[in-house]
Amino acid sequence: MSLARRKFLQLLGLLGGPTLFLLVFFFGPLLIMVVYSFLTPGLYGGVDWIFSHLNYGRILGWADTRYEKFDPVFLSIFGRSLRLAALTVITSLLISYPAAFWISRMTPGRRDFAIFLVTLPFFVSLIVRLFAWVLILRPTGFLNQGLMGVGLTAQPIEFLYTDFAVILGMTYVFIPFMFLPLYGSIEKLDIAQIEASADLGATRFQTFRKVVLPATMPGIIGGAIITFIPALGNFIVPSVLGGAKVLMIGNLIEQQFLSARNWPFGSALAMLVMTAVLVLLVVQLRLARHGEH
Amino acid sequence: MPAHLEIIGARKAFRTPEGGTMTALDGISLKLASAEFLTLLGPSGCGKTTLLRTISGFETLDDGDIVIDGVAVTQMPAHKRPVNTVFQRYALFNHMSVARNVGYALEIAGKSKREITARVGEMLELVGLSGMGKRSVSQLSGGQQQRVALARALAGKPKLLLLDEPLSALDKNLRQKMQQELKSIQRELGIGFVFVTHDQEEALTMSDRIAVLAHGRIQQIDAPSVLYQRPANLFTADFLGESNLLPVTLDGMSAHLADGQSFEVARPSGKATLLLRPEALAVTPPAGPSLSFSGRITQTYYSGKDHQIALDTGQLGPLTALIRTGGTPPEIGATVTLHAPAHGLHLIDETAA
Ligand SMILES: Nc1ncnc2c1ncn2[C@@H]1O[C@H](COP(=O)(O)OP(=O)(O)OP(=O)(O)O)[C@@H](O)[C@H]1O
Ligand SMILES: [Mg+2]
Repeated sequence: MSLARRKFLQLLGLLGGPTLFLLVFFFGPLLIMVVYSFLTPGLYGGVDWIFSHLNYGRILGWADTRYEKFDPVFLSIFGRSLRLAALTVITSLLISYPAAFWISRMTPGRRDFAIFLVTLPFFVSLIVRLFAWVLILRPTGFLNQGLMGVGLTAQPIEFLYTDFAVILGMTYVFIPFMFLPLYGSIEKLDIAQIEASADLGATRFQTFRKVVLPATMPGIIGGAIITFIPALGNFIVPSVLGGAKVLMIGNLIEQQFLSARNWPFGSALAMLVMTAVLVLLVVQLRLARHGEH
Repeated sequence: MPAHLEIIGARKAFRTPEGGTMTALDGISLKLASAEFLTLLGPSGCGKTTLLRTISGFETLDDGDIVIDGVAVTQMPAHKRPVNTVFQRYALFNHMSVARNVGYALEIAGKSKREITARVGEMLELVGLSGMGKRSVSQLSGGQQQRVALARALAGKPKLLLLDEPLSALDKNLRQKMQQELKSIQRELGIGFVFVTHDQEEALTMSDRIAVLAHGRIQQIDAPSVLYQRPANLFTADFLGESNLLPVTLDGMSAHLADGQSFEVARPSGKATLLLRPEALAVTPPAGPSLSFSGRITQTYYSGKDHQIALDTGQLGPLTALIRTGGTPPEIGATVTLHAPAHGLHLIDETAA
């Protein structure tokens, strides 16, 4: 056996397993979704193997006029999802940034404990945590009772089933995703650089803008992306805290697969989310490469 | 000449994690003339960095004042003080190019692009890094980073430059080269340097004056030669260079060593310590009155130019001497007699703290 051939077989042995795994469990399902999104829904669920572009038409504007007029509702739900996911990223960032700074300055023992606290919610069921928020936010919940108790409002305020509730819930669920990469880059920041900046005449704000922010940008971008992606496709938080009023694209996809049993349309909606994520990743890669020069 | 920098009764104590307090500066006063190169020298933990940080504004004093060119800056925040610092580990902004690092103070001061470019070019030339402006700082060697840190601190034309062990990370050859360059840059710019080191050779070769610090206090502040030849107290004598310290008794006319030898000195009677530098001892007796010491050689070190030998004199205890022997090295176990001229000897008073 030639050396090259043996090398090849060795490589295959090493990489073959993971590659096969990825092919079967990641690209396989994805491929099925891509194919399904171009098929016609079966009468009782499933698919008929007839090519159709109308699944995308229904979303993007060339619906089958025999059955319905074009309804921009899907695009507007998608738009809302983008907006809510972006707002979730922003609120998580605004909370995580100072928190990460503060924690990075603690003594080692306290620091480890604080990071443990940040990741603690991972150990409690998501559903339990979200229903706890329902108890807090509903008209007769703790928040409203507190506000009415101190006389800030006479009538209970509608917190539940609003954009606010969904952003709050998603921020609460995804904040560790933002916090951890951010913490990684903030902890690496050399305090001496902050002092050097002040020494050279910069105010605290100038130091933040010119030294701290650029130095922690990789953490901000990393955290933003891995928060944005699951927030965009999330359907549990909006279904518990948003109800029927604040649907997100994830809810829509879930409905198409589980209740409406229109798999091709569900697949097309899922492709919309996939595309948004891909665009985001490409932009990020471009930015990262640009940043190196 | 008016003092350029004046520190008056500076005190600073830190709270230790165990709950006690640690006095880092215990009443320090000093004056720096303009264009003077002052070195803070002292053992680890004696307060050198703390003193520097109170001048730059990163630590606030518990008591005392700091005056720069007649203006009290004690309460002024760091970013407003007309001093810049070269940090020990450089603290360069590693997300910026060399040129942006160097131009940072000017960028902050809102200077025009043209002015910044010109000044950055000038600074890079001064530190010998012309044409390196576009590099990223992570692509530089330690010595080059050191130069960028220096150029960055000088670009904003500070009235005073503070340097905290700026050369300690460099290897010996590079360090000596940088010592000379720093010194010539300081002369060229004519601004005051406050330089921290715990390398005494570095301090002796570079400084106009050296302040020897211990336990948060200035032990002595003087020109290097004065400090070396006429230390004011035992700490300075011991800390700076090799020294033989021999107790003497004074009777008002002369000083007596423990072995009975004496030399003339006009001082009130009492006790004192005689300082004999190793290089003051020689094999050949000098003309005129001298002191002599006989003993057995217990150890020898060869330094390239000289032999350093340790001598056991019995009654006077061990002595260290630097002797030049043309070729034949001294042998361990041999007995020698060494001589020192008996005039110009330096005595340290017992009472000097
Ligand atoms: N932020 C701080 N908190 C508590 N104690 C401090 C702090 N900074 C310095 N000290 C203490 O003050 C004393 C002086 O420290 P300083 O850093 O000034 O010493 P140094 O002379 O620069 O020493 P070295 O040569 O090792 O750098 C030390 O005992 C140190 O432990
Ligand atoms: Mg120090």
